[in-house]
Amino acid sequence: MLRIAADYGFDDAHAGVAMTPVAAEVAATQSTASLVVVKLGQDAPFIAPYPLAVLSPPEHLAALVNGLGIETCGAFAALDAEAIEVRLGIDGVRLWRRARADDERWLFRIPLRSLPSASLEWVEYGLKDPERLLFVINSLAGTVCTSLVNRGERAREMALVFSLGNRTQRTHLIRSSRPSAEQKRWMRLVREALDTLTLPDAVMGVTLRVESVTGNVGPQGDLFDRGFASAPAVEDAVIQLTDDQGDVIVEPVNSEHPLLELRTTWAGRGVRAGMNAQRAQIPRYARDDKKGARDDRRIARDEKPALTLQLLPSPKVVTVDTQPRRDHEVPVRYMENNEWHDIVEAAGPDRVSGGQWNAEYSREYFRCVREDGMMVWLFHGSQQQTTDWFLHGWWD
Amino acid sequence: MSTSIAALRALIEQRFPDATPLTGGAHTTEQVATGIAALDKILPNGGLPRGRLSVWAPQGGATAILRATCYSIVLGGERSAWIDGDNTVAGAFWNNAGGLYLVRPKSRIHALRAAEELLRSGGFSLLVLAGTEPQGTEIVRLTRSAREGGAALVNIGTSASMASVRLTSKLLRYSWRRTPFGDPAEAQNVTVRVHARSVGWNAHTDFPIPVTHHELRLSLESELADRRGLPRGSGR
Repeated sequence: MLRIAADYGFDDAHAGVAMTPVAAEVAATQSTASLVVVKLGQDAPFIAPYPLAVLSPPEHLAALVNGLGIETCGAFAALDAEAIEVRLGIDGVRLWRRARADDERWLFRIPLRSLPSASLEWVEYGLKDPERLLFVINSLAGTVCTSLVNRGERAREMALVFSLGNRTQRTHLIRSSRPSAEQKRWMRLVREALDTLTLPDAVMGVTLRVESVTGNVGPQGDLFDRGFASAPAVEDAVIQLTDDQGDVIVEPVNSEHPLLELRTTWAGRGVRAGMNAQRAQIPRYARDDKKGARDDRRIARDEKPALTLQLLPSPKVVTVDTQPRRDHEVPVRYMENNEWHDIVEAAGPDRVSGGQWNAEYSREYFRCVREDGMMVWLFHGSQQQTTDWFLHGWWD
Repeated sequence: MSTSIAALRALIEQRFPDATPLTGGAHTTEQVATGIAALDKILPNGGLPRGRLSVWAPQGGATAILRATCYSIVLGGERSAWIDGDNTVAGAFWNNAGGLYLVRPKSRIHALRAAEELLRSGGFSLLVLAGTEPQGTEIVRLTRSAREGGAALVNIGTSASMASVRLTSKLLRYSWRRTPFGDPAEAQNVTVRVHARSVGWNAHTDFPIPVTHHELRLSLESELADRRGLPRGSGR
């Protein structure tokens, strides 16, 4: 720093290095050497011989201390804190702490981070037309997004602040599923927000403010992978879909519940979809993690077609004709949508019961092959205290 | 004969000056192989056409075959999407493959919008639209999106309008494992007959596919409360 200062023509620059700002300041301003380094833990002894004036005490305090006959920092630091507080007040205590090199100030203050924002206000009239409002916000979004691009950042959340004619403000937060600096995406979200927003008065000003940002970083892809080129487009489509419809891209989370319809909860893949797309970019030969290998084995197994059960969203009541088979009744035909379906084979019953401590259930399931070849899943039992027959699903 | 062909060619060139004649063996579109050799053999050009709409009549193994095709595509490093319009996919039988996207829309319109959005992205090789039957202009929009995105679009439905390939399938014969009493206990395999039709194309094939059963968790003792699957510490 001294060299740089000299290069700029400041030949008499002085520097002090210490653990506390006050010691560094005294070292830089009071010493004749150009560079003074205060040893670790020696800040208070270093300050002690210097006159109290080096700490720049307030004038009224300087006169009082001078009147007491205290001249050096060391002499002032040696006094009792309580005595200082009683006689000299809070300013005295602050000076006393500095004299003891007890300085909590930051050497370099962390600059406050400013996030891009843009605003526009007008006073002559109030805006009530959403289209004109959109026009204004579009302009603000252009400014904000350009600023984001220049900073190499993407916004995760923006605040839309409306200044209203009744002298109040209404803030509406807009959040994107994926951080973005694209004006088009943010305007789409703004448009959706405005569709559902009701403001109590005319708008006299709008501010669009970025609330949180992330760095503009992305993972390295494989140029030779077939899915790489289209990954960003897919990610965009997935994000747009998630923004429009919520978490509709899902994956199942399965439990061990005895009832198949209660075994699965659907978790949104929204944010993770991007990650998965990136995972799809990684060619198989390059995947060496165990999970990847396990996934591939599972997919390879599923690559061969197999009839699997399709479940109706909720079991459907059907009329069933049965006939006895040893100790139980088996369905021989059932009616769905006013149409009878003959059953040629019926496997079962598979008895499932439980839920005694919450919702009790007891079912007898049959896997039945219809005359047209379809295999359907019928059950008979207590469903909400009824003993009806239900169509629960089919194999396809 | 050759004169009439030349005349026909001249007429076509006159009527359609931008048309490019196909020469021997050239394919009209690329195709997405299903990964099932027997099925690929009966499909025009050996697979489902990219950028086109194919329609597969529901039930009779359509889901099984198309889902296997989706996994096959994912295994090949590409992406596929399954739009479950009527929310009938059972989670226990769905494999969370990275490149296979399952969409469970809230309504029919949402399903169609999702299909259009994903098709247009151009990042999918195959998109299966199940449980939602597009009508009229909806079909036009979807086929246009499929053409723009280059994905093979398969609708599991009955409306064959604008379809490039029409497929039907039927489950023929089950092979059963039987109980000691001779009653059917578990279906092990079923023979599927798939019929593929297109302009100037009509073929069918039979092949067996296994039947997957869900893991039954039967209560052994009716007097005992079955607490399996419930979180620990719940109840008494």
